[in-house]
Amino acid sequence: MKSQRVAAGLLGVSIIVAASACRDSNAAPPDPARQAIVPAPQATRSGLADGGDSLRFVLHEENPPVGFPLAGKFLNLRNPYEGDKKAIATGSQLFIAYNCIDCHGADGSGAMGPSFQDGRWHFGGSSGTVFESIYEGRPDGMPSWGGRISNDQIWMLTAYVRSLASKDLSTENFTGATVERTGH
Amino acid sequence: MRTSSVTLALVMCVSAACTKGEKAGTSEAAGSQATLHTVSGTSIAVPHAGPAGEWQMPAGDYSSSRYSELSTITPANAANLHVSWAFSTGVLRGHEGQPLVVGNTMYVITPYPNVAYAIDLTQPGQPLKWKFRPDNAQQAAGRACCDVVNRGAAYADGKIFYNLLDGHTVALDAATGRQVWRTKMGDLTKGETITMAPIVVKGKVIVGSSGGEMGVRGWIAALDAATGKEIWRAYNIGPDKDVKVGPKFKTFYAHDRGKDLGATSWPGDTWKTGGGAVWGWLSYDPKLNLIYHGTSNPGPWNQDQRLGDNKWTASILARDADTGEMVWAVQTSPHDLWDYDAVNENILVDLPIKGKTRNVLVHFDRNGFEYTIDRATGEILLAEPFVPMNWASGIDLATGRPKALPPKMPSEGKNVTDICPSLEGGKNQQPAAFSPQTGLFYVPTNNLCMDFQSRRVTYIAGTPFIGANAPEKGGPGGYRGEFMAWDATTGKKVWGIKEPYPVWGGALVTSGGVVFYGTLDGWFKAADARTGKLLWQFKVGSGVVGNPVTYTGPDGKQYVAIYAGIGGDMGLLIAGDVAANLPYDVRERGTTLPDLSRWTSWGGELFVFSL
Repeated sequence: MKSQRVAAGLLGVSIIVAASACRDSNAAPPDPARQAIVPAPQATRSGLADGGDSLRFVLHEENPPVGFPLAGKFLNLRNPYEGDKKAIATGSQLFIAYNCIDCHGADGSGAMGPSFQDGRWHFGGSSGTVFESIYEGRPDGMPSWGGRISNDQIWMLTAYVRSLASKDLSTENFTGATVERTGH
Repeated sequence: MRTSSVTLALVMCVSAACTKGEKAGTSEAAGSQATLHTVSGTSIAVPHAGPAGEWQMPAGDYSSSRYSELSTITPANAANLHVSWAFSTGVLRGHEGQPLVVGNTMYVITPYPNVAYAIDLTQPGQPLKWKFRPDNAQQAAGRACCDVVNRGAAYADGKIFYNLLDGHTVALDAATGRQVWRTKMGDLTKGETITMAPIVVKGKVIVGSSGGEMGVRGWIAALDAATGKEIWRAYNIGPDKDVKVGPKFKTFYAHDRGKDLGATSWPGDTWKTGGGAVWGWLSYDPKLNLIYHGTSNPGPWNQDQRLGDNKWTASILARDADTGEMVWAVQTSPHDLWDYDAVNENILVDLPIKGKTRNVLVHFDRNGFEYTIDRATGEILLAEPFVPMNWASGIDLATGRPKALPPKMPSEGKNVTDICPSLEGGKNQQPAAFSPQTGLFYVPTNNLCMDFQSRRVTYIAGTPFIGANAPEKGGPGGYRGEFMAWDATTGKKVWGIKEPYPVWGGALVTSGGVVFYGTLDGWFKAADARTGKLLWQFKVGSGVVGNPVTYTGPDGKQYVAIYAGIGGDMGLLIAGDVAANLPYDVRERGTTLPDLSRWTSWGGELFVFSL
C-alpha cells in the first residue's frame, strides 16, 4: 500500500497516513486502553453536563440502533483529555487538518456526515464509543483512522467533537416573530 | 454590482413579487406581464426518442430539450389538473432525476440504495411488475458530497441502464428486472461515486464519475450495452493520451491548443487529484457523432494549491462517440476560483442568429453566463449573464475567456465577500427545457451569493479535498430563485417567475404550450410557456428537486409525472434541518434558506397528474 506524507500544517507536525481509506496494514495499532486514565464527566439530572472549565454539553440518551454489533472493547475507555481546553483546541485544529470539517461541517454543524452540535449520536456518544467511531470507522462512510493517526490525536478529536454538543435543537417553533420568508 | 440589460426586463416581473403579506405557505408566482416574445425558425437538433407518448431517455431526446409533442394539456385547461395516483419510493433522500415511460411501463430509480421499480400503468392501482434491489456498498453514502442522489436511467434495446452510487453501472432486462450485467467503474476508496444518468449511443452506454469534492480524477467512459465491457474511457485531466486529445482535436480558440495541456496547466502532478468529474447531463448529435458533456470544478477549491488553467476542469467538451476522442473544448471557468462546475446540460438546437440558422449548443453555466456555442466547432457565438453576477465583466468572445474581476478573486488568508452567484451557480443540475414553438429556453435558476475563505488542505484519499469555507446567502432583489424564459439568440430574459427558494427542480415544456416545474418548498406548477402566467399549482408531499416528464397512458390520456423528495445539495447541505428520520442528526435551521424546514421535510414520492 502506498503511503503518503501528510503535513498537518496548522499543528506544525507531520503524520503518516495511508493513501487509501483503509488502515495501513503495516502499522501495528497501539492499545488504546493504555491511555484510558481520566474519568468521564457525569451527566446531571437536567441533561446538561459540566465538562470542566465551564464547558457545557447537551446530552441526549445514547441510542445505538437496535441490533448494531458494537465491538465493545472501546466502550468503557475514559478520555485522558476530557474537558481539557488545550487538548480540545488542538482537536479543533486536527478536525480541519484531517478534513473532518468538510464532512461534518464547520464547528460540527453537519454536512455530508452528521452534526455534532445536537448532542445526539448514531453510534453512542460516550468517550469510548466516539473513540471507536474514529478508530474503527463506521459503515456509512466514516473512514477508519486507527493506526493512521496516533491514539492521542484520536482522543483529542474525541474531546473536541464531544465539546461541540452545545445546542438543544429538539424543538423548532415556526410560529414566532422570527419566522423569516423572502420573496413572496 | 454589475447590472445588465437583463435586469431591466426582470424588474417588470418583480414588482408584484415583492408585495408583502401574501398568503403564507405559497410561493405563488408573480403575475407576469404578457410579453408574447417568441423566436421563430428554431428546431431541436435530434427528435424525441421513441413514440411521442413515451419518455425513454433522461431528457426525452439526445438534444436534452425536455420538450414533448403531447398537447392535450393547454393553458386553457391546465387549471383542471389533479392527482391521478402517487407512489412512495420508500427512500427519503433527494429525488433528482426523472422516471422513464416505455410502452405501458414506468421505470423509477431511487436515491441510494438505488432501487429500481417497474410500474404497470395498465392496471388500476398501478401494481409493480418488478423491483430490483442492487448490491450497493453502504460506505458510498458517506463518500457522496451532496446527498445520495441518482439522476435516472436510460432505456435501449429492451434494457434499463443506470448507475449505482458505489461506482457500478448495471443493465436490467426491462421486462423481468433481471440483472443482465454489472460493471465496476469507480473506486470508492478514492471517493469516486456515480450519480449521473447515462445515455445509450449506438450500442454504448455512456457514464461518468462523481467526486469533484473528493480529489478524484474525473472520467467519462463507454460500455458495451450488450455485455457491460468497457469500450473506452477518457480522463478529463492529465496527458493527451489519457484525455484523448489527438488528431481529431481542432478546438476553436488557439490558447486551448497545445501538447498535454490537461497536465501542464497544473503545478507538478496536482492534476492527479484535480477533480473534473462528469456528474451532469449528456447530449449527443448523431450527424456530427459527438457526445457533449461538462466537467466539474477543479480540486481542491483552494486555488493557491493549483495555479494554472487546470484544464479540462470546468469545461464543456465534445467527444467522438465511437472513441471518446476530444474534438473541441470550451473552458467556461479557467482556473476556477468559485466551484463553478460546467456540468449543466448542453441543449442541442438550431437557432437563427444574425440572419443565419446556426447549429448550436446552449448551456446555462454555474458561473452565471448562458453560452450559445457552435456545436461543430466550439466557437462561442454569444455569452450573456442570466442571473445577478459580479465576478466577471463579461466573456471575451475573441478568446472565449471570462473577464474576471480581481476584487472577487479568493486567495489564502483573505475573506472575499459577496461573490455572485454562489458556488451553487446561477443554475445547477436542474435542467432547462426548450420549445421549438416559442423558440425559448425555460430555465430554473438560483439567486445566491457567497463569501469565500480558502485554507490549505491535504489530500487524504476518501476524504473531502476542498480547502475552503463558503457561506451562502440570498442574492440581490429579495428572492433566491427564478424560473425564467430565455432567448438564446440574443441572450435576454423574456419573462420570469420569482421564487423564494432556488429552483432546484428541472423544466418540462410541451407542444400544448405549458411549462412545468417544481419548487424546493414543494409546489408543482404549470405556467403558460408564452407569457409565464401561472396556470395551476399543487403542493406535493416534499420539496421538488426532480424533473417532470409527460407521457400518454394506456387510456390515451396525457399524464405528467414528478418526484417529490427534497435533497441534493440544497436539501442535505443548505437547508440544514429538513430531515426527520435521523434521530442522531438534528441540525440547526439553515441560514442560507431560513425557514425552508417550515414548508417541507424529506420525502420520496412519485406524483402523477392528469386532466
